[in-house]
Amino acid sequence: MIETHGLTKHFNGNHAVEDLDLQVKQGEIFAFLGPNGAGKTTTVRMLACLIAPTRGEARVAGYTVGGESDAIRAHIGILTESPGLYEKLSARQNLDFFARLYGLSNSARDDAVKKHLEMLGLWERRDEAVGGFSKGMKQKLAIARALLHDPKVVFLDEPTSALDPEAAKIVRDFIAELKSEGHTIFLCTHNLDEADRLADRIGVMKQRLIQVDTPENLRRKLYGRRVVVRTRAVNDALIAALKTLAFVKSVEREDSRVSIALDDPDAMTPAVVRALVQAGAEIQSVGEEKHSLEEVYLNLVGNHQT
Amino acid sequence: MNLTRLQTIIQRELLEIRKNRLLLFTIFLPPLLLAFLPIGLFAAMGGQMGNTNMNADQIARYYSLSPAFKDFSPNELMQLIVFQQFLVLYLVMPLIIPMTVAAFSIIGEKDAHSLEPLLATPIRTGELLLGKAIAAVVPAVLATWLAYAIFIVGGRVVALSDRVFAGLLNPMWLVAMIALTPLLSLLSVSIGVMISSRVNDTRVAQQIGGMLVIPAVVLGLAQTAGFILLNAFTFIAGSLIVALIDAGLLYLATQVFQREKILTQWK
Repeated sequence: MIETHGLTKHFNGNHAVEDLDLQVKQGEIFAFLGPNGAGKTTTVRMLACLIAPTRGEARVAGYTVGGESDAIRAHIGILTESPGLYEKLSARQNLDFFARLYGLSNSARDDAVKKHLEMLGLWERRDEAVGGFSKGMKQKLAIARALLHDPKVVFLDEPTSALDPEAAKIVRDFIAELKSEGHTIFLCTHNLDEADRLADRIGVMKQRLIQVDTPENLRRKLYGRRVVVRTRAVNDALIAALKTLAFVKSVEREDSRVSIALDDPDAMTPAVVRALVQAGAEIQSVGEEKHSLEEVYLNLVGNHQT
Repeated sequence: MNLTRLQTIIQRELLEIRKNRLLLFTIFLPPLLLAFLPIGLFAAMGGQMGNTNMNADQIARYYSLSPAFKDFSPNELMQLIVFQQFLVLYLVMPLIIPMTVAAFSIIGEKDAHSLEPLLATPIRTGELLLGKAIAAVVPAVLATWLAYAIFIVGGRVVALSDRVFAGLLNPMWLVAMIALTPLLSLLSVSIGVMISSRVNDTRVAQQIGGMLVIPAVVLGLAQTAGFILLNAFTFIAGSLIVALIDAGLLYLATQVFQREKILTQWK
């Protein structure tokens, strides 16, 4: 649904995006992470045909960026960093304006406006001037605007940044629902927890694409898979017992906690537990060690030199 | 050019203007003042134009510009001249009134962060700029026409004679109001929109746009001084020239509109 080859953007000698090769499948939620100035917004702008690439190629929704920009714009929805609404107009007037620009018929327009205002809890406030809305309400309205014309691809730039936890959850649920309806979602966010929860795959960007994979695979690539066992006490006998197991890659000991590197914890954990029990361990808990996406992200971005 | 999208832009712009009472006030107040002021002035003077401050040469120049003036008394001639000075202002108004709206057209969208989602729709630059231009022209022309109508009705009451009123109601001024006013307004707006898409400060845009009135003021001064008399030929030729300039400016505006620069470099 989104495909780029060597996509590059330079601004007056400043390399904003460099040789971006990316593929996002239909119905996928792709989270695009990176520090400020990493080139995320520039990438979205190129894919939305708002600015022209310096070089490289891209296709969005089956159309070529540059050559078929009108068709791309008709098939994408975009939530920009700022809601960018017309504050003197009502919520309904704002949406109606954009629905007309997207060429929706009168009845389709009314239906789409009502559906999205209801879905995001704004129907009761539909005739109020947007200038009086809270940040969260404006953000929700901007999301509705991006989805009015049922786009194949939706670009969301920080969709929950201005929202309180309750509203953020509504938006996250809504994004998940969009995926279930087959929309492809390109999500730029600094909220790593949100990316972890929602995204099928994650791309970490810092001018260049550093890594792309599922959140789980990114963790495994960086930290491997480890099982953590807590016992009443850890002694040398337990460590020795673990080291006798051929599939154990490494063992780390810390107070009453033993961390064991394994290729396949699902298959190997029972044997580890048996060995520890036979060596006299009084096991309190067993679980797979899970690194946060924040750790993964900081590791990737911190180690990457542009 | 997609007419539905063009119409959508125009309607949205007009809706925003309608909801901005202060802006409406600034659009309609000056023309209405310029309609009521001379009428009130003439009514107060009670038919005596008083000291015209014109020397014999100036009066002679006016007489020489049109044979019809030969039969006018100095008072009648003076009143008609003053009427015509105010009529010239009705050509200046459509240049000035829409400038604020036009100068704000692109910068305003950028300031409100609404330009990016707007440009992400299938709208084309020409549709956006023409829509904004027409929306700025409409209130300016309506305000000018309203003021002109009031001026004519009031003129009927205060005119010293039928021939002065006939001079005021000269068909060439009707042509000017119907044809030249919208074209001049479009000229002003096209330049305003172009400036708005090239500078990122509303104040700068308005200052540059303000210089547009200079040619119209020069025209008015030339007539006041008796060097020229605006006539049917002036207006028809002027309308044609302004129409051509308008078309050229609108085309130029779409060419100089740099969406990339506006989106990425304007802060």
